[in-house]
Amino acid sequence: MKVLLLDKKKEIGTPVRCGEGVAEHSEAELGIKVLPSAIASKIVGARVFAPNGKSLCLKTAATHGYVLERKLFDKHLAMDAVRAGAHVLPHALALSLLKKEGRPSGVKVLHMGEEIEFHAPLIVSAEGMEARIAREAGFDAKATLYDVDTCFEYEMAGVSCEPYIDLYFSTRVANRGYVWIFPKGKDVANVGIGIGGSVGQNPKAQLDLFIAEHPELFKRAQPVEYKGGLISVGAPINEFVKDNFMVIGTAAHQVDPIHGGGIGLAIEAGNMAAEAAAEAFSKGDYSKKKLFSYEEKWRKQRGPKLAKRLVLRKVLEKMSDDDWNYLINSINDADLEKVLAGDFKPVVAKVVLGRPTLLKVLSALV
Amino acid sequence: MTQKFGLDPSKCIYCAGCVSVCPVLALTLNETKIVCDEGKCIACGICEKGCPVAAIKITKPK
Repeated sequence: MKVLLLDKKKEIGTPVRCGEGVAEHSEAELGIKVLPSAIASKIVGARVFAPNGKSLCLKTAATHGYVLERKLFDKHLAMDAVRAGAHVLPHALALSLLKKEGRPSGVKVLHMGEEIEFHAPLIVSAEGMEARIAREAGFDAKATLYDVDTCFEYEMAGVSCEPYIDLYFSTRVANRGYVWIFPKGKDVANVGIGIGGSVGQNPKAQLDLFIAEHPELFKRAQPVEYKGGLISVGAPINEFVKDNFMVIGTAAHQVDPIHGGGIGLAIEAGNMAAEAAAEAFSKGDYSKKKLFSYEEKWRKQRGPKLAKRLVLRKVLEKMSDDDWNYLINSINDADLEKVLAGDFKPVVAKVVLGRPTLLKVLSALV
Repeated sequence: MTQKFGLDPSKCIYCAGCVSVCPVLALTLNETKIVCDEGKCIACGICEKGCPVAAIKITKPK
């Protein structure tokens, strides 16, 4: 099988649009080896902060993870692809989809001032949020403001860090989103903000506000990089495959609607899609029917869990700062663990008992 | 005719958020340049709202 990897970036992995956090997976699960140089720091747990500063700490095997150095991680993936026999072409912007007899048959690419046509029986879109070629192929991968968070992030030095992923919830600062601090070392961290796309707060201005309000964390901190982007926090797109075409990862909105993470999900989807592609190649059949095994497997393994988390997102976005303070105050670390595992009932019962007004908001969870 | 899509390149961080939310595929990010196909742009203003650094200003045609 001949594989061509096109990346519009002239340096694969740069610029980064990501918090770079990923849960710990085994090499066997991922099907790839993460080199130590691509791991900026190891994470043992997560802390959730209420608007009033109170926090819950989650530290279990499931909360172990890494903050990656995506600039190296992505480049290493491309190097692995070369080792596996793929052709790789950076600085290659896919301009448009080519069709033959109504079916996708390739892409037109802009590379070093030249327009080049590449023809292939199978095209895989891993285009991220832009998903231009996937949309041109008829996939409903358009992002709406309601189902995205708009994000801005600094990589900062001079931040005192502990090996936790810290999430700060506050509608005043980050309505329908949160502020994150993901440590990349002892005194370096990704400090970012995600805000609901339809709420009208300016992410950069709001992150600057948060930093100004937390001198205990940022007194000596200075940015060394500006990053940003939009991330889907809605449902996955309604189909991942068509004849001669597959969509994977963030382009397919395979993203966790609560925290906006998509690295692990994209790698999983990539593996499933690769299996389907290999099977299609062996039979010489690239029809939707043949490729559907990828979509079927993904929906079965990941679909229900993400759907539950989308419901949770839509519940959380209705909560006021006062509700958040009450919630974090009235539940404990073990309760939070249950919620994140998808078991809402005992926690909802506990919260609603003390604050019946939250019943309407939380009832969607039980 | 006035250009509909106005971008302040000194603010832009090339995140392509505008490209993702454009409902008519009028925008493309080419390395460090956002290109707008003015023929496709419908001046809906969604990209302006989605920009995380307020770098976009849409002018509605009169």
